[in-house]
Amino acid sequence: MTTYVALLDGGKREEPVEVRGAGPGLYEVRLRGRVHRVDAWRHDHGSISLIVDAASHSAMLDERGTKVNVRLHHAVIPLEILDERRLRMRRAAVRFTAEGRQLVSSPLPGKVLRVLVKVGDEVRAGQALVVVLAMNMENEMRSPKDGKAVEVLAREGEAVAGGAKLCAVE
Amino acid sequence: MTQKRPIQKILVANRGEIAVRVMRTCREMGIRTVAVYSDADRGSLHVRHADEAVHVGPSPSRESYLAAERILEAARRTGADAIHPGYGFLSERADFARAVEAAGLVFIGPRPESMDAMGVKTTARANMAAAGVPTVPGSPAPIADPEEARALAERIGYPVMIKAAAGGGGKGMRRCERAEDLPALWQSARREAAGAFGDDRLYLEKFLEKPRHVEIQIFADEHGECIHLGERECSVQRRQQKVIEESPSAIVDEPMRRAMGEVAVRAARAVGYRGAGTVEFLVDAGRSFYFLEMNTRLQVEHPVTEMVTGLDLVRMQIQVARGERVLRQDEVVRRGHAIEARIYAEDPARKFLPSPGKITYLRVPGGPGIRDDSGVYAGWVVSPHYDPMISKLVAWAETREAAIARLIRALGDYTVHGIAANVSYLTAALDHPAFRSGDYDTGFCTRHERDLLKPPDRDLEEIALVAAAVSAFKHDHDEAEAFAARAGESGAARSQWARLGRLRAVRGGGR
Repeated sequence: MTTYVALLDGGKREEPVEVRGAGPGLYEVRLRGRVHRVDAWRHDHGSISLIVDAASHSAMLDERGTKVNVRLHHAVIPLEILDERRLRMRRAAVRFTAEGRQLVSSPLPGKVLRVLVKVGDEVRAGQALVVVLAMNMENEMRSPKDGKAVEVLAREGEAVAGGAKLCAVE
Repeated sequence: MTQKRPIQKILVANRGEIAVRVMRTCREMGIRTVAVYSDADRGSLHVRHADEAVHVGPSPSRESYLAAERILEAARRTGADAIHPGYGFLSERADFARAVEAAGLVFIGPRPESMDAMGVKTTARANMAAAGVPTVPGSPAPIADPEEARALAERIGYPVMIKAAAGGGGKGMRRCERAEDLPALWQSARREAAGAFGDDRLYLEKFLEKPRHVEIQIFADEHGECIHLGERECSVQRRQQKVIEESPSAIVDEPMRRAMGEVAVRAARAVGYRGAGTVEFLVDAGRSFYFLEMNTRLQVEHPVTEMVTGLDLVRMQIQVARGERVLRQDEVVRRGHAIEARIYAEDPARKFLPSPGKITYLRVPGGPGIRDDSGVYAGWVVSPHYDPMISKLVAWAETREAAIARLIRALGDYTVHGIAANVSYLTAALDHPAFRSGDYDTGFCTRHERDLLKPPDRDLEEIALVAAAVSAFKHDHDEAEAFAARAGESGAARSQWARLGRLRAVRGGGR
């Protein structure tokens, strides 16, 4: 038996899930206080046919490491699935990053159009700090927390690579 | 058939989806094709579809797809006799059309003079008013600075739309509610316009309350014939970008279609139009319509018209460019209902942030009445340099209700991995009661944003958790097993799981 913890809503909610093998392709899954009998048939490229109790579902799993986007009946449910060891590591890492300085980086390569903060500015969570033009769209990069801009690396007009640090908030 | 200009080889001055679309028709017509591509697009699908391909420059479009001289040089080198500009990029540049003609090639599009007359939106508005076509109140000429804009906005009243004079496709367009927002919106619209069109002139228009966006597809030949192919409704828009288009429009009946068609044809005739064009209108709550702008090119959403008329608009463009005649108005037959959904590489859950990256898996839907006009393939890396649209999924059915159901069904089968896409957002929009009822306007996406981005319900989430957990379990288990096997615990002691699996396979239950 393995116990996993699924992180939902970008880590805001946790759901423990217990899985026990019950024969080839057969599983018992304990979730939210109930045990489901699951028959799983894996097709190509992350597509899984599931019979949960008696209901048949077709799920598509787009897996990137521990992160999974589950596509199911027109919905995409992004989640992260961790076993106990990975969860412990994650918790330690989260504690480490939630405090102190947080970096704001550009998820896309593009061009810095506007820098809306300077070092020392008070910023609030969700406030736009830098505007990056990528794929013909203006994208606002926002502050992850309330605090103060302690470092501003982005310069207007400059090209940035994906993942490039734009500024830091503390 | 009277063919004044034989066209045997067409250079497609575009990329991605629309380049592939044009090349498909060329292949059917036995016309050879030349692709142009930038550094980022060596592996692009349009290069694979072409008979010849010419590298025209670095990835930024300014240095490749917008570099008119390099495109012309590619046409000369390959001996192309015509250039199809697609949409966007150089498609509405009169100077480019002139240069093409000066080089002795056929420009598959309108005469440059018609593009001049319609290309600068303020000139177009003045021309249309003169031809007796109703227009939305606004500035008669481009406005020099935000101060002047502010003064005009005070006169016509907020909210106003800031628009790019060279505009189209929603680029450089901003809705402004209050005077204090104007300077910032003005600057941002200006930058976007400069980037998209190489022209940063802006103008103002009054923003109509709850308007619907309905456009008429027209077609004109050089023998003086001009027809319309009916309307497309494009009121489902996000940040001025069309998301879902349909034909017929739920508010257009036959008399209104005829009236709008006549006005659109009048607009086209007023500028001596030739080829495919679209006259866009805003329709207010009282079903009065106002000229918005004319797009002097093929539209992104042209497949919607193709599905209800059974015509191939690219083929018709090429025929007109050859000097042939268009159909007569009474030969145009419309049947059933078509809806298009634009699939973008963007993440609705992250404020629609574009999501470039490698497509690791792609499965597209088929079945009755479905058409997928795509520019990508599994293995392709969606580049951050260009528009994030990866495909257009179109459904046709006998009725609107059936077409909605069909498109929702097809979106359910559309699977793309590796990048984020707006597929479930599109489904939510089609499934929304306001869309289903047909009673929607250009405020649809904003008004119903909460519904369209609603998280999935708990039951569905539970199944998703089961799927992910079972998959992780299987994965971990296989890994442990592989490790054990490598550690050489004993060749004979193969996993009980594998043995059982073989047994089941033998019994016909392969797993």
